[in-house]
Amino acid sequence: MKRQIPLIIIITLGFMFVAHSFIPHKISTDFFDWYQDWVKAVSPFAVSLGIMSLFMVHGTKIKRKISNWQYSVITLAGLVFTAFAGFMWGTQSGTPYMWLFENVQMPMSATMFALLAFYIASAAYKAFRARSAEATVLLIAAIIVMLGQVPLGAMISKWIPESSTWILNVPNLAAKRAIMIGVGLGMTATSLKILLGIERTYLGGGD
Amino acid sequence: MNKNKNVIKLFDRMQNIDRRYIYIVVALSIIIPLLIPFNSRTYVTKPTEDIYKKIDSFAGDETKAILMSFTHDASTMPELFPMEVSVLRHCFERNIKVFTICWLPAAAPLVDYALNTAKEDFDVQSGVDYCNFGYKPYVLRLPIMLGMGDDISKAVETDSQGRKVENLEIMKNIKNYDDMNLVVDFAGSSSAITWITYARARFGANIAAGVTAVMVADNYPYLQTGQLMGIFRGLKGAAEYEKLVDVFAAYESEDYPNGRPFSKEIIKETRVPITGDTVPYKYKKARIGMNAQSIAHIMMIFFILLGNIGYFITRKKEL
Repeated sequence: MKRQIPLIIIITLGFMFVAHSFIPHKISTDFFDWYQDWVKAVSPFAVSLGIMSLFMVHGTKIKRKISNWQYSVITLAGLVFTAFAGFMWGTQSGTPYMWLFENVQMPMSATMFALLAFYIASAAYKAFRARSAEATVLLIAAIIVMLGQVPLGAMISKWIPESSTWILNVPNLAAKRAIMIGVGLGMTATSLKILLGIERTYLGGGD
Repeated sequence: MNKNKNVIKLFDRMQNIDRRYIYIVVALSIIIPLLIPFNSRTYVTKPTEDIYKKIDSFAGDETKAILMSFTHDASTMPELFPMEVSVLRHCFERNIKVFTICWLPAAAPLVDYALNTAKEDFDVQSGVDYCNFGYKPYVLRLPIMLGMGDDISKAVETDSQGRKVENLEIMKNIKNYDDMNLVVDFAGSSSAITWITYARARFGANIAAGVTAVMVADNYPYLQTGQLMGIFRGLKGAAEYEKLVDVFAAYESEDYPNGRPFSKEIIKETRVPITGDTVPYKYKKARIGMNAQSIAHIMMIFFILLGNIGYFITRKKEL
């Protein structure tokens, strides 16, 4: 029963959604409205579950003094303090919540992402070597696209941004589309297998 | 013999520069242009131009609106925030109804921050000229996207201030994607694809994307097919839009008191100086950032070439 009931729910609802997509009948629309109400009611529980899980994981780390447990204290303190600031004074401009966002979260997140520039610069220097014909093509394409992305490229020659657009529009597009078609076919096959009850590994456990 | 060895050593070093030196050069090439802005030319590309023209076609039209979907957090702000502020500024300048929505808790303050930044210079009112639907959990993305195709106020229900959306003045003449006919999704991923799949394929909504430069290539197939009517290509896209708004939407003269219509000739010829105080800092951030990006790209190309010169000469000497 533990496997059959979820399987019945998935197959029934799966086919109902397929029907809803293709048949614009009142029954189909009513079904969708009913689904919307259910999703809205159920989704907040996922947030509660997430918070509970975070407290349990980090609480255990702090209790057992596992290495770097101090970071867990900061994580939980951050969660409690930010939530408290939001509930107490709201989230509008000028509130402590917004102050935390502008002066803590925003610069820290941007700093983390900005580190990418340094890693990319270092990795590009090491990796872009014309060791073979393929590597040379990659190297030339990279330089053209890099120059085409900045105003200086167009200042050097009109040909650079045009070539950069061609690289993105033709070879890049061909490769991307091939991958996407492959992924799309795979997704369709997997969805059909799930709908027909052939694919059951997502239910967990053995076969 | 010894001289030859030293030469080989030098070229070998060119291939193995300590990464810390690369970091220092990259840091300086970014920091200096940010601190000392200079005027550089911004070339406007078609994908950005198409978004501008589409949004501008709604100017003063009570029956049309745009939706800005924020699907990112603060990490991608340096690239995406200038786009968002520019689009909002365009809407406020040209009296275009604008809605905002976000799907990540970390994006909620971002929407407020963008709205607060843009609205400072305009006499606009929440619920009348713009409306923030606020944060909606990601799990509700699909039902809301599909629901807005039938009835926006039913799918969203309340705005960020807890007001019933259906009672807001801005909702007059706005029911579904037929009226809110352009969705611009800002993300550091390919999340615009979901809008294409559900809002465009089923309801015919126009979709545009504002993405970080690294995600541009992933979105290109949809641009080529026309499923994306336009795209902001990273910071460059933001800089292009800033210029478009400066040159057209924010333009004031006796003939055009509320902005002038788009013209290819004017945008080609016009240069907007970013060094003076003519344009407020918040409206030229992307163009200042592009200066830094230009120098950083040149430095990266320099290092790549240096490494390759070293590689070829060493190989030749070894042979």
